[in-house]
Amino acid sequence: MIHMLLTHIINPLKYMAPVFLPVAFFTLIEQKMRGYMQFQKGPNIVGPYGLLHPIADGIKLFFKKPVYPSTSPPPLFLFPPMLPFMLSLTLWAPLPMPFPGIEINLTILFIPPFSSLAVYSILGSGWASNSKYALIGALRAVPQTISYEESLGLILLNIIIISGGFTLQTFNIPQKSIWLIFPAGPLPAMWYVSTLAETNRTPFDLTEGESELVSGFNVEYAGGPFALFFLAEYANILLMNTLSTILFLGASYTPNTPEFTTTNIMTKSAFLSMLFLWIRASYPRLRYDQLMHLVWKNFLPLTLALVIWHLALPIAFAGLPPQF
Amino acid sequence: MAGSKVKQDMPPQGGYAAFDYKRNLPKRGLSGYSMFGIGIGLMMFGYWRLFKWNRERRRLQIEEMEARIALMPLLQAEHDRRTLRMLRENLEEEAVLMKDVPGWKVGESVFHTDRWVTPLSEELFNLHPREELLHKRFGFLWYV
Amino acid sequence: MPTTLEVPALHELNVDEIKVSSAVLKAAAHHYGSQCDKPNKEFMLCRWEEKDPRKCLEEGRKVNECALNFFRQIKGNCAESFTEYWTCLDYSGMTELRRCRQQQQVFDSCVLDKLGWERPDLGELSKVTKVSTPRALPENPYHSRARPEPNPVIEGKLEPSKYGSRLFFWNW
Repeated sequence: MIHMLLTHIINPLKYMAPVFLPVAFFTLIEQKMRGYMQFQKGPNIVGPYGLLHPIADGIKLFFKKPVYPSTSPPPLFLFPPMLPFMLSLTLWAPLPMPFPGIEINLTILFIPPFSSLAVYSILGSGWASNSKYALIGALRAVPQTISYEESLGLILLNIIIISGGFTLQTFNIPQKSIWLIFPAGPLPAMWYVSTLAETNRTPFDLTEGESELVSGFNVEYAGGPFALFFLAEYANILLMNTLSTILFLGASYTPNTPEFTTTNIMTKSAFLSMLFLWIRASYPRLRYDQLMHLVWKNFLPLTLALVIWHLALPIAFAGLPPQF
Repeated sequence: MAGSKVKQDMPPQGGYAAFDYKRNLPKRGLSGYSMFGIGIGLMMFGYWRLFKWNRERRRLQIEEMEARIALMPLLQAEHDRRTLRMLRENLEEEAVLMKDVPGWKVGESVFHTDRWVTPLSEELFNLHPREELLHKRFGFLWYV
Repeated sequence: MPTTLEVPALHELNVDEIKVSSAVLKAAAHHYGSQCDKPNKEFMLCRWEEKDPRKCLEEGRKVNECALNFFRQIKGNCAESFTEYWTCLDYSGMTELRRCRQQQQVFDSCVLDKLGWERPDLGELSKVTKVSTPRALPENPYHSRARPEPNPVIEGKLEPSKYGSRLFFWNW
């Protein structure tokens, strides 16, 4: 009995709580920050400083009566919101914290395929909603996500070449001398923009453009299923920023103070997430053709050229990392 | 169509007047060229530091590899003896287990050869607790 | 020809094993490599040539003997600095040598003073070396079967095939 309780209730909760509590408060911080940027207060009713708002929001969403479109089959309709939820949980497991959920090699090869699986949830939800608005929203979101995957992948390839490791844990070693944000040149900027696009944030949030679409691929979702989408999206944002931190913003593991590893990573990634919010408050949305041109006409050639550059330069200066 | 009575809404003669779409922000901070230069400079500095460290890392790798090379005979000898010991224990156990089976040859090889066949871990750890096999297989992890 | 597995008896395999942990081994690795060079190389050559652990037990015993002697000498002369060194390695996560240079220096100088052992330079241990050994080169270590006789030379007159080659398409 106690074993059942541990393995099926307590352990999953132990894993989920640290992922979704920050997500909840991240949404609060987002509302607060965007409020203050427009000289408003943001949510401040429930709890001190509005701290309990996200919890109230969650309770409200999960207790709402789930409304399903009568024309779509419930299993097909309900599977797509569960998929990104599961994925966003899975992706946190191999991150290089002191005691990761799963300790595997080749983490960099593990993360991109899992994060790109989320595309199927967008496509599936748009299709299974059996509504043309949702379908159009999905059709707009899918090419965007796929296109920016490619840019992320090529940037990762660049980073792998100059740092010489496929495992996120090994990214501490090359960054002992200097944060990779400096030698990588324009890559971190492109990476950051691509993560913005990958997680469908402004200025790339064409999936939910209010003027053209009503909320995009998830119009038909309400209550619990919508909450799943929402949680997955924000968990993905935090995950992407954590990944950027690990890749570019220096070593997190210091042998003298190993207990600060997680603090180190998460502080930097919180800073990057703040930048996400700031960008959301500052920039207007891109047009769809601009979005596509940015990735296919600017990022793709540049990252491809930089792969060659980052191969040629270390070879020319005998600075390739050790090959195991 | 040519004789349509609907009058198309058209711009006035000579087009619309110029529209001032630019925001009137004061010009401040560094010029674009100097920011570009700073960026390139930072990159160069970064490459220099990174390459220096990468060269050092290659030397350190050689050192680590040499430590392994030096230890390899010792570990190999120990490993060989352990393997043989486990095989011998398995054989003795087999003799005890199969003593009632007529015509059973203890330690009969499944291979049609005289040469040394490195035994599988399953074969070695057959009579040991499963934990030990798992430990043998997944007990050691090195980052790549 | 089903063969039986021949394994030496347990008492033949009994050797005084080196019962130390990986950090200790790694801390001593470089000095060990240069001090026990001879038996080590001998063993590895035997292992390489024979492809059979059963035939290199004697060499392996010598390797262990040398290692035991080596560690005894360290224990007798430089126990303190050595313990300090390997403890440092043990605490450095992945037992990286670069994190313990100070302790290494103390240990190295102690070993140099008391035993006259010099730490081998970088690249010394990974050199390719020749080993002279009294052991005979094993014949046919893979137990290969005898090669078949080569085909007899055809006596008759060789003519081109009647209907052209099957490989007519690739006619270069």
